[in-house]
Amino acid sequence: MRTRLLGILAGPVALVLATTARAEGPPRPLHERVDRLIEDATDGPMAAPATDGEFLRRACLDLAGMVPTAEEAKDFLDDPSPSKRERLVDRLLEGPGYARRMQYAFDAMLMERRGDRHVPRADWEAFLRRSFAENTPYDEFARRILSADGSGPAADRAPAKFVLDREADPDLLTRDIGRMFLGRDLQCAQCHDHPLVEDYFQAHYYGIRAFLDRSSLFTDPASQVVMLAEKAEGETTFQSVFKTSVTHSTAPRVLDGPPVVEPELPEDRRYEVAPEKDKVVRTIPTFSRYEHLAPALANDGVDAFSRNIANRLWALLMKRGLYHPLDLDHSSNPPSHPEALELLAGWFRDHEYDVKAFLRELALTRAYQRSSEIPPGADPEAAEPSRFAVANLEPLSPEQLAWSLMQGLGVVAAHREDAEADLDHLDAALCDRCKADEGREARRPWRVEEAVHARLSGNVDAFVRYFGASEGQPDDSVEADVHQALFLSNGPQVQSWLDPSGSNLTARLAGIGDPAGVAEPLYLAILSRRPSAGERAEVLGYLERRGADQRADAVRELAWALITSSEFRFNY
Amino acid sequence: MWCPYSCRSAEHAISRRSFLGGVSAGLGAVSGFAGRPMTSLAGELGRQGSQVLMVFLHGGSSQLETWDPKPGTATGGPFRSIETSIPGVRISELLPKTAQQMHHLSLLRSLNTAEDDHGKGSYLMHTGRRQAPGQEHPHLGSLAARFLAPERDPLPGYIHVTAGGGGLSGKDAAFLGPKYGALTLGDGKPPANTERPGSVEEAEDLARHQLRMQLDHRFDLRRRTAETEAYTTSYEQALQLMERREVFDVSKEPARDQERYGSHDFGRHCLLGRRLLEAGATFVKVSHSNYDTHNENFDFHLEQVGEFDVSFAALLSDLADRGMLDRTLVVVMSEFGRTPRINQYYGRDHWSTAWSVALTGAGLKRGVVRGETNADGTEVVDGQATGQDLFHTYLRAVGIDPVVDEFAVNGRDFQIADPASFAIEDLLA
Repeated sequence: MRTRLLGILAGPVALVLATTARAEGPPRPLHERVDRLIEDATDGPMAAPATDGEFLRRACLDLAGMVPTAEEAKDFLDDPSPSKRERLVDRLLEGPGYARRMQYAFDAMLMERRGDRHVPRADWEAFLRRSFAENTPYDEFARRILSADGSGPAADRAPAKFVLDREADPDLLTRDIGRMFLGRDLQCAQCHDHPLVEDYFQAHYYGIRAFLDRSSLFTDPASQVVMLAEKAEGETTFQSVFKTSVTHSTAPRVLDGPPVVEPELPEDRRYEVAPEKDKVVRTIPTFSRYEHLAPALANDGVDAFSRNIANRLWALLMKRGLYHPLDLDHSSNPPSHPEALELLAGWFRDHEYDVKAFLRELALTRAYQRSSEIPPGADPEAAEPSRFAVANLEPLSPEQLAWSLMQGLGVVAAHREDAEADLDHLDAALCDRCKADEGREARRPWRVEEAVHARLSGNVDAFVRYFGASEGQPDDSVEADVHQALFLSNGPQVQSWLDPSGSNLTARLAGIGDPAGVAEPLYLAILSRRPSAGERAEVLGYLERRGADQRADAVRELAWALITSSEFRFNY
Repeated sequence: MWCPYSCRSAEHAISRRSFLGGVSAGLGAVSGFAGRPMTSLAGELGRQGSQVLMVFLHGGSSQLETWDPKPGTATGGPFRSIETSIPGVRISELLPKTAQQMHHLSLLRSLNTAEDDHGKGSYLMHTGRRQAPGQEHPHLGSLAARFLAPERDPLPGYIHVTAGGGGLSGKDAAFLGPKYGALTLGDGKPPANTERPGSVEEAEDLARHQLRMQLDHRFDLRRRTAETEAYTTSYEQALQLMERREVFDVSKEPARDQERYGSHDFGRHCLLGRRLLEAGATFVKVSHSNYDTHNENFDFHLEQVGEFDVSFAALLSDLADRGMLDRTLVVVMSEFGRTPRINQYYGRDHWSTAWSVALTGAGLKRGVVRGETNADGTEVVDGQATGQDLFHTYLRAVGIDPVVDEFAVNGRDFQIADPASFAIEDLLA
C-alpha cells in the first residue's frame, strides 16, 4: 500500500479514515458487477454489441485521443482472437497516447480554456501528462493541485496553475473546487442556502472559502514570479441575504466534514515570515489554512470527492455521467443508477484511486461496448442517454478532432517517419553501453510521440478556437455552428492536409491505378472500418465519373466528404 | 450584504418547480451539449424579425458633450447646446446632424450605474449584471443570437463591426455556448473561410457536399440526435453564407451613401451595419473608439463626436426611412460617462453617477426624453435608472421576457435579466 499524505490532517478526519475498513478483494470483476446493475435497471431493449470497427475507433479516441491508423484498423479487424478487445484496451492504456489524451482532457476540465496567466502552459501540460503516464493515484493528483502555492522551483510550480491562474480569487476558487473536485456547484449558496437544491448550504460554500480567504497573490519583487502568500488573521463570516441580522462564522471545512482545528498561537508566534512595514514580503503563517485544504478535501472521508471523480471518469468513457450534469450532485438530481455509482466510487477508493485500473474496468463493461445504433424496431426512447442501453454519441473534442484529422489524412504518419529517422540518427551516435540500456527500447514510443507532438501540436490551436468552449466554460457548452463548417470546408489548414503531397493519404490514393482499389484504404484510414458494398460502389462511381485525369481532385473531394461526415465528427 | 444572484424567494419557489420539471423533462432529449435544453424554448420565444443595432462608444463618452449638455456652467465646457427636431430638447452642438433626427430618438439622461471601471462598466452595460467572480452572463448580442435569430439563419446571430482585429469570440455568450458568441468583422472585413479554396471549383464543392450528405444520411438512420442534426445543418448554413458573402462587402453600397456616412472607418462600419441589418442580421454592434479622454477631453470629443454625428445620423435616418426602426432596437451607449469636473489636463475622468444613453426603435417610444440631472450635471434629480433597468428595457423592447427563468443551463436556473430590477416603463411604447 502506498504511503498516504495524512500527516497534517486534523485529528477527527484521520480518525474516520483509520476506522474505515477496507473491503477485501472483490469476488467478481468490477465491470461485471456494474453491468449487472445497469442491465437489471433496464427493462427496455438494449443495443447490440458494437462492431469491432466501432469499438476500435471509440477506444482509440477515448484512451489515446485519436483515431487509429489504417494499418491498426486493418490488423484489429482481421484479428480473430476473442481477447483482442481486452488486449487493445491494455495496449492503449500503456501507450504514450493515453497520457496525452488525459493531459488534454484534464486540462480542458480543470482550466476550462482559460488564457495563460501566471504558470506557463507547457509546465502545466507536462505535469498533467507525467501524472497520467506514471498513473499517479487520483487523490494524490488532486492534492498536488490543491496544495501547490507556486513558491517552489519552476518545475514544481506547474500544479499551482489551478489556483494562480484564477488569480487566487476565493469566490472563483470556491465555485470551481466545488464543481471540479466535489461535483457540487455551490455558486448559488454564496448568498444563502441554495434555493433550488436542498442539500447545498451556505455553510458549505463558506467552509471551503475559509481555506482560501487568507491567501492572496504575491509577486516576488526580484523574480516577478507570482505565488500565493497567506496571512495568519481573518475570519470567515457570512450572512444570508434573507436574514442579514444573523452573522455566522465558520472554520475551514469541506462540506459536512469536521472543521479544521486551528491552534491558538500567541501573537508573536503566528508567522514564520511576518508582514513588515514598508517592505514587500511573502508572509508565511505558522498555521496555514490553505495547506489544510488538499488533505481535507482529497480524502477517503469525503464521499463527494470519490463520487465526483468516479462519475467524471465514467462520463469520459460513457459520454454522460451517472448523475448529470457533472457539477450537480444533489438529492434532487439523483444518479440514474445509484448503486452503480456507489459501487464505482467505493471500488476506486479501495483501489487507491488507480485511474488506469478504473478506466480499464469501465472499458471492459458491456455498457461501454454497446453499439450507438438504436435496436431495429425499438422506440427512440431506448437511446435516452441516462439508460446506458444504447451507446451515447459525443462530438470529438477539439484536440481529438485535430489529431484524428492529421492521423486520418496521413499527416501524423509522415511526421512519425521523420521523427523515427531523427531518433535513429541520434541513436546511431550512442555509446555501446547506452545502446544496451534495456529501458531505451521501451521509451522509444514515448520519444517518438513526443517528437511528433512537438512538430504538430501548433495545428491544434485553431481547432480549439473554433470547436472549444470559451474561457471559463465547460467544453460541453459547444454546439455545432456555421463557422466550424466553414473552417473545415474552406480553411487553408485542412485544405493543405487534403491536397495530395508526399506520402499523405490523398497522394497515396491518387496513385492507386485501379479505382476499385481506392475505397478500402480510404475508409480504413478515415473511418477505421471497411466500406460496405454500397459505399465501394459509390466511391468507384465518383472516381469514374471524374475520369482518370481528375483522379487527384476526386480523391481529395472523397476524403473531404468522409472527414466532414457525422461519422467522423462524432465519437459514436 | 450585496447579492448578485436571483434571491427573491417567491420567484425561487416558482422556479424550483420548473427547475425540477425541466430536469426530468429535459433528460429525454439532452445529451452532451449544454445548450440543448433551451432549444424548444427558443422556438416558443422566437420573435423572428426583431433586430438590434448597438453603437458602443468605447472608453466612456461624455454625456456633457453629447446628450446632456450644460452650457454656461462651471462643468459645461466650451461647447454650446443646440435645438433639435423636438422642440425644447437641446443636445450638444457637436451633434448637429443627429439633432435633426432627434424625433426618431429617445434619451435617458438619468443613468446611475455606479461602476467607474472600464471592464466592469462595460460588463454591466452589455449584460445587465454586475460582474462578480465565478460567474459570467451572456451579452445582449448573445441573447439576441440565442432568442431572436431564426434557427437556420446563415448569418451569424451576433456581428460586431470594429476598427480592431476580427475573429470569433465565444466569451460574450457565457454559458449559452460559443455558437452565440460574437463574430467580429475586424476593420469591416468579411469573416474567415467564407471563400471557397482556389483549388475547389463550385461544381466540385457541391459534389463533395452531396457525398457528405449521403454519408450522413446513412449514419443518422438509426442514430438521429439533435447534435448530428445541428452538425448537418451547419454545412447547409455554410453553403448559404458563402453564397451571400457579398453581404459583408460594404463597397457594394452606392458611392453617394459612402460619402454621406463619412469617409472614415466609423462611417464605413455604420454603412456596413445598415447593409447587414437590411440583409436580416439579428444583432449588429458597431464600435467607435476612443472616448477615454482624461486629457484634452474637448478636442477629442470635437473630433470623435463629429465623426459619430455624421455616420450615426445617416444610419438612423436611413433605418427610419426604410421602415426598419419599427422592428430594430437602436442603442447608443458606453461603459460610463465622464466627470462634470474638468481636470487640470482639460480632461474629464470616469463618471457613472449621472450619464446618458440614447435609444429608439422596436418597442420603444421615439422622441422622448426621460430623466434629468441637476444644473451642473453632477447628480440625477429625476427618474434615476440603473444599467440593470436598461437591460430589462432592451429585452422588453425586442420581445424577450426578461424574467424568464424556466430553463436550466447545465442544470442551473437562469433568469435572463437581473431579478432585482425592472424595465423603464416610461421608455416602452
